Amino acid sequence: MQKARKDSAGTKARPHQASSKRQGRREFLIKTGGILAAGAFGAVPLRGWAADPVNIGALYPTTGSMAQIGVGCVAAAKLAVEMVNDAGGIKSLGGAKLNLIVSDVQSDTTVTRTETDRLITGNKLSAIHGCYASALTLIASEVAERAKVPIITGSSSDMLNKGRTYTFTPFARASQFARAQLQMAKLVSDTPKVAVIFENTAFGTSTSNGLKELAPGEGVEIVMFEPYSAGFTDASPLINKVKSSGANALFSVSYLNDLILIVRTVKQFGLNVSINGGSGGFVIPDFYKNVGKLAEGLQGVAHWNHDVSDDAQKVNVEFKKRTGEFLFEYAGGLVAQTFMLADALERAGSADPQKVREALSTLDVSSGYAAMAPGGKVKFGPDGKNIYGHPVGVQWQDGDLASVFPKEDARKPLLKI
Amino acid sequence: MWETVAQAVINGLLIGGIYALVSIGVTLIFGVVKIVNFAQGEFVMIGMYISFFLANQFGIDPLLSLFVSMPVLFVVGVLVQHFLIRRVLGPNDMPQIFLTFALSLLLLNLALMLFSANYRTVHTSYSDEALHVGGLYIPVAKLIAFVVAMALSAALWVFLHTTDLGKAMRAASQNRDVAMLMGINPNRVFCVALGIALALAGAAGSLLMPFYSAYPFVGQVFVLMAFVAVVLGTLGNVMGALIASLMMGVAESLGVQYVGADSGLIVVFAMLLLTLAFKPTGLGGGRAR
Repeated sequence: MQKARKDSAGTKARPHQASSKRQGRREFLIKTGGILAAGAFGAVPLRGWAADPVNIGALYPTTGSMAQIGVGCVAAAKLAVEMVNDAGGIKSLGGAKLNLIVSDVQSDTTVTRTETDRLITGNKLSAIHGCYASALTLIASEVAERAKVPIITGSSSDMLNKGRTYTFTPFARASQFARAQLQMAKLVSDTPKVAVIFENTAFGTSTSNGLKELAPGEGVEIVMFEPYSAGFTDASPLINKVKSSGANALFSVSYLNDLILIVRTVKQFGLNVSINGGSGGFVIPDFYKNVGKLAEGLQGVAHWNHDVSDDAQKVNVEFKKRTGEFLFEYAGGLVAQTFMLADALERAGSADPQKVREALSTLDVSSGYAAMAPGGKVKFGPDGKNIYGHPVGVQWQDGDLASVFPKEDARKPLLKI
Repeated sequence: MWETVAQAVINGLLIGGIYALVSIGVTLIFGVVKIVNFAQGEFVMIGMYISFFLANQFGIDPLLSLFVSMPVLFVVGVLVQHFLIRRVLGPNDMPQIFLTFALSLLLLNLALMLFSANYRTVHTSYSDEALHVGGLYIPVAKLIAFVVAMALSAALWVFLHTTDLGKAMRAASQNRDVAMLMGINPNRVFCVALGIALALAGAAGSLLMPFYSAYPFVGQVFVLMAFVAVVLGTLGNVMGALIASLMMGVAESLGVQYVGADSGLIVVFAMLLLTLAFKPTGLGGGRAR
């Protein structure tokens, strides 16, 4: 078996074919003998060789502050690889199985750099996916670009589409999220008066500035625009301020803990505003677990939701069986990404990262697991952006996250609460 | 207009009560044992996790778990003093600073390992309720926390001023050497001081649980405010720390309302700087009580 593998590797046009020619007659005889012997068994000789697994790198924070989401991502990545393998692997590579190599980036930018480097140099990777947080993905993608290994990611930072050729982003970009939020506000009220509160970090500032720029064009009035220090002890002073601004909608650009406090305080104050929590911490099962019934009717935006297609629902059911939670935005997106990689590998007929990149750049799917995305189509433009990519507006309904916007992606009506 | 101001003041007072519990613990330890306990916030965190697990596993109301978290942390405090702090008490401050700082890091990372970085919340029937008084909203959970915090502070004050042990603690905090000459057993007094301080941190944790999330870093949020309050209210002065905590809560709340939501702390620190500029010993007048 080992020999057959070796010699067919030699016959498949690979760079070191020349060197194998220089090897002795004995080697030659063994090789040809191997091929002949293999031929005697009919048309299946290459199967033993081709089952060489295809290595896919997965970079996620499974420890540190983002651990919880990172662990969920890894669970989804494993599920996706199993699904591809159970369906027969990569057929053009003789049914090669995908082999997931998980690496923990520890929610830390420095670790992300060294881990990405280590993963690429220590393994023969065909592609990478990761890393959940944009700040981490930006670094991983830099390293991957230099090593010429394609990376596919659900991270939304627009920076990922600038000057990169090995980075692919099949889902909505950060700049698109703001517009969707504003349009949703108009569906709830004819004269939306929005209070925007955001944590004074790079994430909060860039997201809220996007909202501020687009608001006039979308016919939405912003009555309060206020940064706050992340990690406060008490949300009531802030909500007191929202109350005195006379807003009827509240956009909160916050991480989970602040958002929990904000939502609870809004309810305590009996404030009648519709809340849009954006994406990130808002669209994960943990949010509902922490906020409970108060989450009902709250809106958000996501780049993926488990009800985008029947295929997505199928994966959701399986994921729920394994982890007890529904398939959340980022995890669901990366299942689709794994199938995009499988599609690219299939067409490339090679595990070579350069060829996989070529195949990804010509990816064009509109059905199956690879097309699980809002809109149901994936095709990459020259900047690595999915030209059909757009966010989906979601709303917590009966403990579940339902897609409610835009019309073509809506699975349930938007409740005006 | 007045409603907004009044609401801001109420919000500030209510959260100030929690700051008070943490800062009284810090100031008590500093006053009596003369060390700065950097791990105080982590003991608040432990109090929160105790309440969380009791609520989650046995359905015990976080307020009732006060009767568990306070004794448990009292014992922890006695043990910490007896086995750790006692060994580093000496003319050199450095080992003490390293000890409590290391304790803080250790507890923080243990919590990360054992409980993960997830946020944990407890839902009680009163978590999301609020009293509605003439246009003002008073969240029930915070009101209860405030009342209990004030009651505990009052109880501590009575203890310090009427019991022999309390008087011994005050004596030790005013002049440790003379107190020892008068026959006060320092380690016993120190153990009780640590125990009480940690029990107060545990109480803060349990009182926070109905309206705040528990996570390993949660102590750091409150300990910063506690340190400011301790300095503002004169190091070692319990009453000063209490008053300073309430003032800081109100200053922060008004700061958020009228300066900017990311400037609440600026107002607090401006207040600290001004106080130190005009009254360098703090509001307590430089006397440890």
